[in-house]
Amino acid sequence: MRTSLKVLLVAAAATILALGALLPVAVYAQQEERKPLFVGAWPYQLPPEGHFNTFVTGGLTFGIYQQVIEEPLALYLWHNDTYVPWLATDWEISGDYFVVHLRQGVTFHDGTPFTAKDVAGTWLIHYILNHPIYSQGYVDKVEIVDDYTVRFHIKTPSPVLIRYILREPVRAYSTYKDFVDRAMEYMNQGLAPTADPVKQLAAEFRNFRPERYVGTGPFMWIDEITEAEVWFKFYDNYWNKDRVKFRWLKLVNGETPQVTPHVLAKEVDYATHGFPPATEQQFKELGIRIIRPPIYSGPALYFNMLIWPLNETWFRKAIAHAINKTENGWVSLSESGRPVKYHSALPIELEDIWLTPETKAKLDTYPYDPEKAAQILREHGFTKGADGYWRYPNGTIVEFELSFPAEYADWSAAAQNAAAQLEKFGIKITPRAVTFTQHPLDVYEGRFQLAIRHWGGGANPHPYFHYYAVFIYWNEKEAGVGQGRPGISFPLVQDTKCCGRVNINELVISSAKGFDVEETKRITNQLALIFNELLPCVILWQRYGNNPALDGVRVTGWPPDNDPIYKNPPYGDAFLVFMLLTGYGIEPTPENMPAAPPPEQPEQPAEQPTPQAPGFDVTLIAAVVAIVIVAVVVGVMLARRRK
Amino acid sequence: MVRKMSIQRYLSKVYRNFVVRKVIRGIGIIFATSTLTFFIIRLMPSNPIEIFINQMMSAYGMSYQDAKALALALFTIDLDKPLHEQYIEYLVNLLQGNIGRSIAISPGTPVMEVVSTFLPWTLFSVSVSLLASFALGVTLGMIAAYRRGGIFDKVISAVAAVTSAIPGYLIGILIIVFIGVQFGLINYMRGAYSAGLKPGFTPEFIADVFLHLAAPFATYVLSTFGGWMLSMKASTLSVLGEDYVTVARAKGLPEGRIRTQYVGRNAILPLFTSLTISLGFIFGGSVLIENVFVYRGVGRLLWSSINARDYTVMQAVFLIITISVIVSNIIADLLYGLIDPRIRVGG
Repeated sequence: MRTSLKVLLVAAAATILALGALLPVAVYAQQEERKPLFVGAWPYQLPPEGHFNTFVTGGLTFGIYQQVIEEPLALYLWHNDTYVPWLATDWEISGDYFVVHLRQGVTFHDGTPFTAKDVAGTWLIHYILNHPIYSQGYVDKVEIVDDYTVRFHIKTPSPVLIRYILREPVRAYSTYKDFVDRAMEYMNQGLAPTADPVKQLAAEFRNFRPERYVGTGPFMWIDEITEAEVWFKFYDNYWNKDRVKFRWLKLVNGETPQVTPHVLAKEVDYATHGFPPATEQQFKELGIRIIRPPIYSGPALYFNMLIWPLNETWFRKAIAHAINKTENGWVSLSESGRPVKYHSALPIELEDIWLTPETKAKLDTYPYDPEKAAQILREHGFTKGADGYWRYPNGTIVEFELSFPAEYADWSAAAQNAAAQLEKFGIKITPRAVTFTQHPLDVYEGRFQLAIRHWGGGANPHPYFHYYAVFIYWNEKEAGVGQGRPGISFPLVQDTKCCGRVNINELVISSAKGFDVEETKRITNQLALIFNELLPCVILWQRYGNNPALDGVRVTGWPPDNDPIYKNPPYGDAFLVFMLLTGYGIEPTPENMPAAPPPEQPEQPAEQPTPQAPGFDVTLIAAVVAIVIVAVVVGVMLARRRK
Repeated sequence: MVRKMSIQRYLSKVYRNFVVRKVIRGIGIIFATSTLTFFIIRLMPSNPIEIFINQMMSAYGMSYQDAKALALALFTIDLDKPLHEQYIEYLVNLLQGNIGRSIAISPGTPVMEVVSTFLPWTLFSVSVSLLASFALGVTLGMIAAYRRGGIFDKVISAVAAVTSAIPGYLIGILIIVFIGVQFGLINYMRGAYSAGLKPGFTPEFIADVFLHLAAPFATYVLSTFGGWMLSMKASTLSVLGEDYVTVARAKGLPEGRIRTQYVGRNAILPLFTSLTISLGFIFGGSVLIENVFVYRGVGRLLWSSINARDYTVMQAVFLIITISVIVSNIIADLLYGLIDPRIRVGG
């Protein structure tokens, strides 16, 4: 009994050792040369959660990297407000049509040629899904003129529609043809996207799961995906192959906590995740460069205007003066949380483009000035008690709850710091962290007093999106949009000192209409003055990326910080995508280049075949060794037992 | 009348049967737990339909009515129905073996399909780790008890106390930072296997799976073996003081036999119940450890389903955990009798 137990234990130990001996085999199996390689990071979900229908929720788009798989018609450069022709060669407004001419000689990864059918197909799918270009009434029809020309019938002229069309990734007609053909029938019948048959088709489409993922981009899907990473290989027939410098693309899966160790181990060349200041400091100490492109958005302090005195402009102005926004930004995101200057609701980089010097001169910058804030409150009958808290004229303490999404580390820090600063000023604040999926619903429903939510239109350069974000997004009822939920309940028809009586909703909508840039500028300046005067929210700071860019390991040549390419944000219109597609800036290091092929040997005559070494499989050898070890150990033990 | 009496007697005899009684009680507990789960999940703030509607409105510019109509067409549950009707519907479906379709994380996909893609990995990783942790803890605990007061006992008890006190996910992070990052092994500490390897019974794949299991395995074992060890040590110490051990020694039985047959067998009994309960919890995975190592398991699935308020997936995972814990308890009760003849139940 004792001996058999021993045999069992020793055999188990030998098995573990043998398995241990097999482990290098796995390492060996991974060492296939995949160079030149670029390693990025993006969170994704594996099937069945993730799928290849990139139009709908859960699609495996891989975020910014979608556009190196499924390319757009044009790229966009923020620093000079220009589109770079890509799958489109040129485009023009011709009468009531936006006409796009397409590049010839482009093929999809499945070998099918890229034609007008693919572009029209992409927008026919968006027609059944009621994309904003249809729902906002910009376009009502898409037509194929010839194999390489497609045109969109303009219902309401707007620069926004041009951006939507040119920046949308083009999907393969071959993947979605059944739905595209049916959508074309409905569009030709003149049905609106809200018509029942179209809605039914849309519902069917949302359950459509293509078996493959094809695009025209330089990197193609090779079905190598795990929870940890996904690989893409260079497409040999890529139309612009000479400009692409990498032949493999690997994306590490995960949010900030999962990606951080990969960055620390120098296993990621570039990441767009938001890293806490302490982690950022660690990156710097390891010699990893931090790139800070503008995000064109950030956190703002919103007020529930159904509550007095939050509905009073003077009170909101007092709050704006009571918070040190520079401190708030630094505490939350160090160098990447920067206070805005003019408080116009436009991101810093867009103010110079859209605002006139006269407008800027009129804008209040709301500097940190607690004395001024105190003076405003005193003027309205508030008093400060011996306990340091402000009191309403009736003597009760001024007290609010500040809610914020718990999982957003930078917004949480901003909220905690704003609460601490307001407490110091004398307004009692109870910070309340709410889970990120629930918090926006609370704000939409008006179930809050003070809340931290976003300002700024993010990766949309047109001012419309930025003013929509602060006036309308959280204000459905007043704006008459969405579900009509109360949200911040900010009145959109108001008397102002700057512009008289204004209908802000109409102004925001009209800012997106027409192709007259001067008119858009005029409205934008008016909206900036109105926002600055009425202050529907207090902008805390503008967020900049703190994106680690590893130089010298696999990739080199990152442009200097002042390069205009970094005016492109890290997400929409990502500068990295521009670099990967055009070969601008980054390139592989010499170590990241494939080994030179061995010199060609003269061919051996067919009748005298070269003797070949036996084709031993190293894994087979390891497996045999493992089995032999176990067998020997068991055999020896059994032999001893017999003795 | 006589026939009725005999049926009653027969039923009462059946009910008195230990196994039948356990199974009936188990079914009752499953019913009660799934009922509680059903209502507690719905007490959470927000719901999947509301989240889906908001997604549709912001992503596709849909009106609320259209988004809601779509949600109702897509989802098999209607949250506007009275709660008791939803509950009855849930029970009826459950009795028919239909646990529904995923609402949020993979809309429309049968929950069984979603769960079955994650379950094998969790069963593999957690069961291997649990058994290793148990074996290590029991062995070290027994050695420590035999050498009580010695250096080995002091050192191993201190190590066990410290590692048990550190949460598993923290040990995982430390392993990633100090081994993965410093030694460049981070790529082998993420996921269940390497991209590009086709799953199958090939040496490469098996080796790769074990390689990727190493870090979560080490984390799980380090964070749990201490508990087993300290329990086994305490249990062994109490058994060592029993009269029958003294008698066995007085009879001159070999020490090895006393160790295994007299001490070990009795000392392990109290740990046996804990082990079977832990085996039941294998099905729930290890949420935090799976998240740290991006390991494909039910724990991660549960995490994402809670975040997305995917009621059906949450219900399914909780149901699986409940059933597995109850089944393993029943098995434990049955096996306990085999291990410890003193508590064998008749009938």
